Amino acid sequence: MDFFSGERRWRSQKPRRREDAHSPGRKFLLLHILIVLLFSILTIQLVRMQVFQADDYQAQAENNRLRELQVLPARGLIYDRNYDREQPLVENVASYSAVIVPADLPAKEEAAVFDQLESLLGMPAEEIAERVREKRQDGDPYEALVIKDELDRDTALMLKELSSYLPGIDLQVDARRNYLYGELTAHILGYVGRISAEEYAALKDDGYIFNDQLGKTGIELVHEDTLRGEPGKKLVEVDAGGRQQDVLDSQSSQPGQSIVLTIDLDLQQRTADVLREFMGASDNAAAVVMDVHTGEILAMVSLPTYDNNIFSETLGEEELDVLLNDPAKPLVNHAIAEMYPPGSSFKPITGLAALQEDVATPSTTIVSNGYITVTNEYDPSVVYVFPDWAALGTLDFYGGIAWSSDVYFYYLAGGKQDEGFQGLGEERLAQYARSFGLGEPTGVDLPGESAGLVPDAKWKERTVNEMWYVGDTYYFGIGQGYLAVTPLQLLDAIVAIANGGELLRPQLVKEVRDSHDHVVASFGKDVRRILPVNEDYLAVVREAMRQSVSGGAAQSGQVPGLAVAGKTGTAEFGVAGEGEGLHTHGWFVGFAPYEDPEIAVVVFVQRGGGSQNAAPAAARIFDYYFNQRYVAEQEAP
Amino acid sequence: MIQWRSVRHLDPWIVLVGLALAGFGSLLIYSASLTSYPEGIQGLSHPAIRHLTFAAMGLVVIGLMAWLDYRLLGQVTPTLYAVALVLLVGVLVVGTTIYGAQRWLNFAGLSIQASEVAKLLVIVVLAKYLADRQTEIGELRTFLGSLVIVAVPTALVFLEPDLGTAIIFGAAWLGMVAVAGVRPQHILAFLATLALSTPFVVVALMGDYQRERIATFLNPALDPLGGGFNMIQAEISIGSGGIFGKGLTEGTQTQLDYLQTPSRDYIFSVLGEELGLMGALLLLALFTFLLFRGLRTASLARDPFGRLIATGIVIMILFQVFINVGVNIRLLPVTGIPLPFVSEGGSSILMLFVALGLLESILLRHKQIEF
Repeated sequence: MDFFSGERRWRSQKPRRREDAHSPGRKFLLLHILIVLLFSILTIQLVRMQVFQADDYQAQAENNRLRELQVLPARGLIYDRNYDREQPLVENVASYSAVIVPADLPAKEEAAVFDQLESLLGMPAEEIAERVREKRQDGDPYEALVIKDELDRDTALMLKELSSYLPGIDLQVDARRNYLYGELTAHILGYVGRISAEEYAALKDDGYIFNDQLGKTGIELVHEDTLRGEPGKKLVEVDAGGRQQDVLDSQSSQPGQSIVLTIDLDLQQRTADVLREFMGASDNAAAVVMDVHTGEILAMVSLPTYDNNIFSETLGEEELDVLLNDPAKPLVNHAIAEMYPPGSSFKPITGLAALQEDVATPSTTIVSNGYITVTNEYDPSVVYVFPDWAALGTLDFYGGIAWSSDVYFYYLAGGKQDEGFQGLGEERLAQYARSFGLGEPTGVDLPGESAGLVPDAKWKERTVNEMWYVGDTYYFGIGQGYLAVTPLQLLDAIVAIANGGELLRPQLVKEVRDSHDHVVASFGKDVRRILPVNEDYLAVVREAMRQSVSGGAAQSGQVPGLAVAGKTGTAEFGVAGEGEGLHTHGWFVGFAPYEDPEIAVVVFVQRGGGSQNAAPAAARIFDYYFNQRYVAEQEAP
Repeated sequence: MIQWRSVRHLDPWIVLVGLALAGFGSLLIYSASLTSYPEGIQGLSHPAIRHLTFAAMGLVVIGLMAWLDYRLLGQVTPTLYAVALVLLVGVLVVGTTIYGAQRWLNFAGLSIQASEVAKLLVIVVLAKYLADRQTEIGELRTFLGSLVIVAVPTALVFLEPDLGTAIIFGAAWLGMVAVAGVRPQHILAFLATLALSTPFVVVALMGDYQRERIATFLNPALDPLGGGFNMIQAEISIGSGGIFGKGLTEGTQTQLDYLQTPSRDYIFSVLGEELGLMGALLLLALFTFLLFRGLRTASLARDPFGRLIATGIVIMILFQVFINVGVNIRLLPVTGIPLPFVSEGGSSILMLFVALGLLESILLRHKQIEF
């Protein structure tokens, strides 16, 4: 201000001039004040921004420049039980997608970028613009948006080149799952798919990214945490165009661990072939082979099946519709996810309950005249008739099972009031059925397992709103009526009979190996409970089942040179059509060798017969396992 | 034309501060150009070197202008006015459009920003008009006459469209008529009329781009990746600089391309980020000093013509600084005004040195009567 005062001094020495009347000196003072005032306004704002809000702005600047990128780990592989590092059931292959990071697009030249993409990808520019707009509105514009996936190699290379001078455009290289045995293992392995919006919301804190892949079903889903591995992180500095400038920090990813299944691929293949051959025209069929000592599932087949590789690619609506609307439900694993009446294959359980509860002894004889009658309690003129499949004559316990006499098991289950024969009754029967694991999931490592259904009076009253009749107990005793099981449940129950009373959790995973081939976890047998049945009675039932195959109703399950024990079932279901009987499901469940059981097999054929379809199929599986495969292995070295 | 003894009347501070600001600008331009010139200075075509070259030429220009008696300009004001209008019309007719506005004239291989030249010419013309009417300065006719002189070029730059320069024309006129001594009632009446007609201006005269800019200024989130991007990024740059800045060439916003035109309209953001509040205050201090020296020149001027030219120049520079920095720190809507002496751009810096030369010319002659 001394310039100003100096000027005043000079002025005061001079005679006043005309224009001083308008006092320009005062105006210059005002101009000085104006300068100070305007610059003070700027200074106040600068202090506000650079002193009081500096932290906030610094955070924004850091947010601009730093991007934390996920480095996705290589997903673990899956092997069959005969682990060979070079022969996995699934492999990871590269797949290329075109992605856009909306925030990095050049603001003024978006349209030009979209036009470039249109000519490269053959995708309308308007559609791309629309997707980018949606992403900006609904999502984080810094997240990569997949515009088109499954690019071929040439397109991918061209895109890579283009991306270096088109900001916001990038080539994303993902690992895609290639299931080497597709249909054969689809129901066990399941598949991975792109993370859904809901899954992403729930999982983004666990290291999943927006375009991530995760297991959707099967082992891929259940063992997601094992297979996925630990994602790594990379802190990079990017410029305004999103181009990476510098890697500031990185933490490498930990590859996922590999899973070795209990499945034997050759047996799985053979089981599938045999089942396909014997299922005939039926809609679907299932078969499971289990190690009776460990509960390991050696083969699990559900037909029809699907190729799980189609889910690794972008699945068209129509393709999905075809799979979903197919009446044979190819996506459903019929071995675990659907429940059916077990029919006569349930009789060993009824029999064991009767022996344990002293309702019968191995020598209890009952005469089957081909039917049993029950007189209505209130109206003696009404007589209900429950048929046997044949007039089998006098049968002891072994004969009852071996010839699969319905009448024999009507007696054991419901008794015969007029003859003074006390049966088990529904309550005890249900209790035993449950102790064999029916009516609850087995706990196998697969999603979507059905619990099955074990009925009792309370259940019927609650659900059907009817009282329980003795006829219901009769049907229950022969595995008909409301009782429903999954093939795996029935197999697991028979395995417990075969191994001396241990009800096991079915195992699908044998061991987990890390990327260096070291076994990091292995799974032995997991005993769910010990059957509440005397071991002697188990031996009786095993012998009865042996007789059923060797000289009874299940003779079609015989295998030369092998003592197979088993039980067929032909379960009626639905409503009788005109002029024909009820439809039936065919079952066979059994184990071998009889003397020292190793494996157990269940075969289920919808709309099939126990001895026509299921038992011969099981026989072929046993034959393969014990004869052909063994011989092949002997000859191999 | 000058008496050598009077050289002692020259104000060295005006020249020194002008050069200091240009040097300051050159450093910032160097930093802002690192992304385009990652190799640094490798020749005379580097923007920082070009800026220094213009500053050196500016020194010559100051000498020339100081030597030339500013009163000679008063004898050719109709020509100067005609030149200003021809430039402004020319730019509208054959100008080059950059960043949405027609501002450049390509002439003999040179790219001239017409409004930068016109600003100074109109100030001289206006100063002459007002100086010649000191006796009838209180009359409405004089006031309206000055308004017409400035309104025509203002309207022309408004059409480019260049709202910022139009405002600077208006501010320079207002300051000059006030210093010349027009009746305050006339000024107040004019301001009232302007205020009342603002809605009409917004609706009828403003282009869509101007309304959009104002809407974006009020709420940059409307268009965070488009027009609002620059404003937000400039704000982040300056705020994140803090008190001492991130260091020259160390600003992440600047060096990673988050600023657009960082060596021109957004050079203050580079300064704010890399040199912090301290750098910004140093810049404002330099400008304050320069402007005070300009006002000293005005008060020392031997005649109203010189006084009014000096006043006009001071107000022109003041408002350019205020508008440019105000845009950078989000006090004002986006409008393309360079930061005097600091922003890259030959027309701007040369005309500023012409203005400084005029100030020296005025000083050189202020006490000649005494000798």
